Amino acid sequence: MLAILAWRNVWRHKGRSAVVIGAMVVGIWSLTFGGAFMNSFLLSYIQTAIRHEVSNGQIHHPEFTKDYDTRFTIAEPQRVVAFLNENESVVDVARRSIVNGMIASTRQATGVKIVGVEPGEEARVTELDSLLSEGSYFEGVAGNPVLLGKRLAEKLKVKVKSKVVLTFQDIQGNITAGSFRVAGILDAISNTIDETSAFVVRDDLNRLLGVEGAVHEIAYTTLPGTDDEQLADAIQAAFPDETVRSWRDLSPLLVFMEQWMGATLQILIIIIMLALAFGIVNTMLMAVLERVREVGVMIALGTRRSRVFLMIMIETLFLSTVGGPVGLLAGYATISWLGKRGIDLSDYSAGLESIGYESVLYPKLFISDYLMIVAGVLITAFLASLYPAWKAIRMQPVDAIRGV
Amino acid sequence: MASLITATNISKVYHKTSVPVRAINNLSLEITEGEFTAIVGPSGCGKTTLLNILGGLDQPTSGTVTINGVDISRMKDSELIDFRLRNIGFVFQAYNLIPVLTALENVEFIMLLQKRSRKERLARAKELLEQMNIADKADNRPGELSGGQQQRVAVARALASNPRFILADEPTANLDSVSTENLLDLMARINRERNATFIFSTHDERVMNKARRLIRLVDGAIVSDEVRP
Repeated sequence: MLAILAWRNVWRHKGRSAVVIGAMVVGIWSLTFGGAFMNSFLLSYIQTAIRHEVSNGQIHHPEFTKDYDTRFTIAEPQRVVAFLNENESVVDVARRSIVNGMIASTRQATGVKIVGVEPGEEARVTELDSLLSEGSYFEGVAGNPVLLGKRLAEKLKVKVKSKVVLTFQDIQGNITAGSFRVAGILDAISNTIDETSAFVVRDDLNRLLGVEGAVHEIAYTTLPGTDDEQLADAIQAAFPDETVRSWRDLSPLLVFMEQWMGATLQILIIIIMLALAFGIVNTMLMAVLERVREVGVMIALGTRRSRVFLMIMIETLFLSTVGGPVGLLAGYATISWLGKRGIDLSDYSAGLESIGYESVLYPKLFISDYLMIVAGVLITAFLASLYPAWKAIRMQPVDAIRGV
Repeated sequence: MASLITATNISKVYHKTSVPVRAINNLSLEITEGEFTAIVGPSGCGKTTLLNILGGLDQPTSGTVTINGVDISRMKDSELIDFRLRNIGFVFQAYNLIPVLTALENVEFIMLLQKRSRKERLARAKELLEQMNIADKADNRPGELSGGQQQRVAVARALASNPRFILADEPTANLDSVSTENLLDLMARINRERNATFIFSTHDERVMNKARRLIRLVDGAIVSDEVRP
């Protein structure tokens, strides 16, 4: 009956309770949608980085990653590629040769990471072709084509079809150089691509390196929902002599951003729930203080103070949580709708894309986020109930009945 | 007859103002089972304070109150709450029913606190409302009942816990004459039929006329104690 009593007490002042319940609905909706919107930003950044830079995973010779020594190539690249292609979770695979060297134009020279790619594979794995802002994708020039980032091109003061010379050590340790023509200029978000990378055809690079078929890096993409850590472990088990790393191992920044999503939501929950808690406490205090006589009579009749405390707690819990499902459902519906349709921020796309976001964002909230919000509401309700309940049990029946 | 309530040299002094107020002044009193007693006197004479002390709602500054041999004047708050639940029924001037519960639920409430089964609660609550001639209002909330009807529900609630005695503080103060007569007749009948002990505080002549014992208070002390045949 305590629960019945508490429930009916909630509806004693319908208008007043409706205001609090309405505030909870709006608050929870704001939390779910706000959390999902923030997630969409971070997920967009992470997805962009995975798609254009790190991919879902990479494979190297264990020694290669230490100082990019070109002698350390993947032992059996064809077998690795075949293994990856057989895996249902793997979508595309790209092979690369990599060497650090110098790039020189007629006017400038600078250090550069030279990446030898298979143009078709690279287009599928990192969508390198989609970053092209000028020229063509490894075509349209006589001789060895090279793609440069916009800033690097500016630094070297070169344009499409300009000649550049790449200088580096071959596999024997001898200095070698090759003449290349700028086939295209890339406009990339990533500083690595924009300022310090030169993309060439893998065979051209391997010829200069003096090793046919050398592969220093294999990158692969996976289907959405794939557990990239688990897959990396499986590949590692199959090729124990190589180093297999998922994007989480390759980019600690992305992991930090992923963790930041959860932390941001927690901060948002605390702020909104704190504001709502004051409203709940205020309403419940009013409810308790205007029922001084009633509570006093209940104690006089033989209701233990612990039961009165419980009744006020249940009442607060009802008041706080009755709007919860509505707010959550409204938030879920909004997120589902916008999650499919996307939020088009193309008016700000230039600014967004320059910092690694896409112009259309897709709000997303994880089940753990929903659970965190539910826990936040329950904790708020519990904490908000303590003071009014404490006020209620301090009443002396004799004073309460007298109306003091 | 065995003594039900024994108050011995009780005093109650309030220190809420700079001058202490002595509401009850060295008062001794015995109530036996089955009495239909009215405590009367002018406003401020200490009627309500005495009733509160006898009912364990307030504690005397000095002196002792024993109920059925148990000293309640030094009990802890939690012990007193349980004691009141098992031994004392209350009827208040302003009825003080729980407004969100129906008449039936108000009567049931106290039995719920006594942890009686739902079946037993329902049966007893219905029976009591019938005795109070208000069974047809069982599903109505207090706001939908007249003052007289509410007070009859309050009496049913007081009886529901099978208390050793019922304290009624000015029970007819807010009632019209017809409701007062009805209520007094009902309480007198219950007193006769069940040997239930009633103690009223009142300055209503009609209550005084029905009472079989009249204790008159002035300035917190008994000035007369009249037992009627």
